[in-house]
Amino acid sequence: MRSIADVVGASGLSGYAIVALVLFFIAFVAVLASVLAPSRSSFYERVGQMPLDDLTPQTPRER
Amino acid sequence: MNARLDSFSYDDDIVRKFLFATIIFGLVGMLVGLIVALQLANPAFNVSPILTFGRLRPLHTNAVVFAFAGNAWFCGAYYSTQRLLKTRMWSDSLSRFHFWGWQAIIVAAAITLPLGFTQAKEYAELEWPIDIAIAVVWVAFAINYFATLAKRRERHIYVAIWFFIASIITVAVLHIFNNLSIPVGPLKSYSIYAGVQDAFMQWWYGHNAVAFFLTTPFLGLMYYFMPKAAERPVFSYKLSILHFWSLVFLYIWAGPHHLHYTALPDWASTLGMVFSVMLIAPSWGGMINGLLTLRGAWHKVTEEPVLKFFVLAVTAYGMSTFEGPMLSIKSINGLAHYTDWVIAHVHTGALGWNGFLTFGMIYWLAPRLFQAPLHSKKLAETHFWVSTFGILLYVASIYSAGITQGLMWRAFDETGRLQFPDFIETTMRLMPMYWVRVAGGTLYIIGTIIFIYNIVMTWKKRPAAYEVPVVTAAPLSALPAPQHAKSGGLLAMTWHRKWEAMPLFFSVMVALCIVVASLFEIIPTFLIKSNVPSIASVKPYTPLELEGRDVYIREGCFNCHSQMIRPFRFETERYGDYSKPGESVYDHPFLWGSRRIGPDLAREGGKYPALWHVRHMENPRSLSPKSIMPTYPGLLSNTINFDGIQKKVDAMAMLGVPYGDAVNKAPAMAREQAAAIAADVLKNGGPAGLGDKEITALVAYLERLGTDIKKPAGVALAPSVPKAGGN
Repeated sequence: MRSIADVVGASGLSGYAIVALVLFFIAFVAVLASVLAPSRSSFYERVGQMPLDDLTPQTPRER
Repeated sequence: MNARLDSFSYDDDIVRKFLFATIIFGLVGMLVGLIVALQLANPAFNVSPILTFGRLRPLHTNAVVFAFAGNAWFCGAYYSTQRLLKTRMWSDSLSRFHFWGWQAIIVAAAITLPLGFTQAKEYAELEWPIDIAIAVVWVAFAINYFATLAKRRERHIYVAIWFFIASIITVAVLHIFNNLSIPVGPLKSYSIYAGVQDAFMQWWYGHNAVAFFLTTPFLGLMYYFMPKAAERPVFSYKLSILHFWSLVFLYIWAGPHHLHYTALPDWASTLGMVFSVMLIAPSWGGMINGLLTLRGAWHKVTEEPVLKFFVLAVTAYGMSTFEGPMLSIKSINGLAHYTDWVIAHVHTGALGWNGFLTFGMIYWLAPRLFQAPLHSKKLAETHFWVSTFGILLYVASIYSAGITQGLMWRAFDETGRLQFPDFIETTMRLMPMYWVRVAGGTLYIIGTIIFIYNIVMTWKKRPAAYEVPVVTAAPLSALPAPQHAKSGGLLAMTWHRKWEAMPLFFSVMVALCIVVASLFEIIPTFLIKSNVPSIASVKPYTPLELEGRDVYIREGCFNCHSQMIRPFRFETERYGDYSKPGESVYDHPFLWGSRRIGPDLAREGGKYPALWHVRHMENPRSLSPKSIMPTYPGLLSNTINFDGIQKKVDAMAMLGVPYGDAVNKAPAMAREQAAAIAADVLKNGGPAGLGDKEITALVAYLERLGTDIKKPAGVALAPSVPKAGGN
């Protein structure tokens, strides 16, 4: 009787690791591009201040 | 827009509790580290059977990782999370349950590890009841944390909290899956995985324990406390986003680099290497982001000890995360693996990154938590310089030791034979460096004692009752995310801005990220049969050998002896044929080891007569005068619990080990084999009466190691299915 290991082993997954590598590299590049693309820097400047103020929300509900 | 304002206060009592636990267990963990360093420099420091190197080494690592660094993380997380979310923790009771539960686990570890109760997996040594307790405490922490996120008054979730979220989720996944085991007693279990699969799971866990317990939580602390101390925002918030996701994406793959040139399939090893090398980018991005937070404030570093500690911590992070990827490159790993080089690498991270970040954080927190000025800034400066010098001595000596021994192991003379065939010769060369390490570690601990004195004196100046400031802020609206996050394209990152305000979805994405990455590696390792070709002559251990294996595990022999010969000529010349994946298919758990303080034992069977092993265990220096191995005279008097062996064999059978007849008569089989070994020892002039002593079980196990493959039919069978390739 063939086990699941036999079936998976015979299913030709030799490129599996490379596919994973490529997928994750694409995801990495996408995040990189997004981060470096121009956007509303004022928002990030404001949230970057969050550790400096323990008392006042920087992004409360009304904003 | 008018809004109702809530009044609330932060729970700093829990922060103070974790602060004290951090400094107490930090000192304990470091002192145990000093003891094991002394034991390597002189075996006379192995003063008791329960205080030998093999038993104390895991106590040191567990104390430093989970007690010192763990409590430091929780201390900083409870302080920063409440303030970043503008809310008190959801449940004070769960916070206290987390604190007391975690300390109880640490105490349980401190008792059970010296008593020899261990799963034999690095950083996952604790036995199954403690593992269950860890899971329960962790769930309580997670519930409290995510419920706090749900009731926050700050829409945006700051990047430090992303790191905490990722750590909480990933540690849970790692802990559960690596510790799956079958109990065979109140404090004894066998891993459900065996051999290659167990090794893979362990180092998937082991590497990511470093990543998600010692790195990501501390990055969260860095992103909160560095701006606090510098009094300016993080250099680039965008860079922190990139840092976060790329770390989470990449780290989870890197574990297999701990198993280069072992019986792990080559494709997995290569995959681990590639992702490890890629890790340089986010790691250095994070380091740069941390250091550049001090832009325009570098003058403060000369005045503020807190910033000095932070700068050195982040620099050590940069050094470790450069070195880690280098060590993952196969050719470099071939030299460094099993040597002290890896120990030096770990201590650059632990002493520099984790230690100094913790010290800096506590120096910053203490005046605020105790509402009194720091007792002495000068003492803090002294601490910094004493401990920094200690780190330098430690790592410089141990790097030298690692490279020296690695080069000596692989040296051939002009006739083509090993230049240093006697392993002990390579060990003796390290002794001066081991003493320098003791000096470096002592300096680091002296610095820590100064630190503790300074903090305690600050605490003594606290007011009679702490002032509890009341904060007012509006609750978050149940309305959808604010307008600024509703529009924009892919590159404008509005999609990510929405995630940043949705903790549950954010957490799901993190979980998905680490689970998918893990499955990409785990599924082929477990399910492609050709990865572990079976060997017809490899049979299960006899009941007595299994008992002996448990003695080997109890004494922590795997902390000093590997059982994995790599396919290098300098290894096969010294130890014998290289190790095959099929040789450890019945090893629950695997015992390949990660450090060779003594020689590899994968082919130990048949090298020496039984009496040699008896004499060697009783006093190694009677046979090898320069040996640094502890003595184990107790093994010659401790009695084997023959009746308990049946349960162990049955558990192995349940895990799929083909035990056949032994399932019904394990004790009788064990007694018979023990009597034969005892008779052989007596015949050769050894002590009488060893037939029921633990030493016979251990001898049986050692004599079996690596012998199966030499028997007839000891050839790798062709895989039962066509080879899928890629390995």
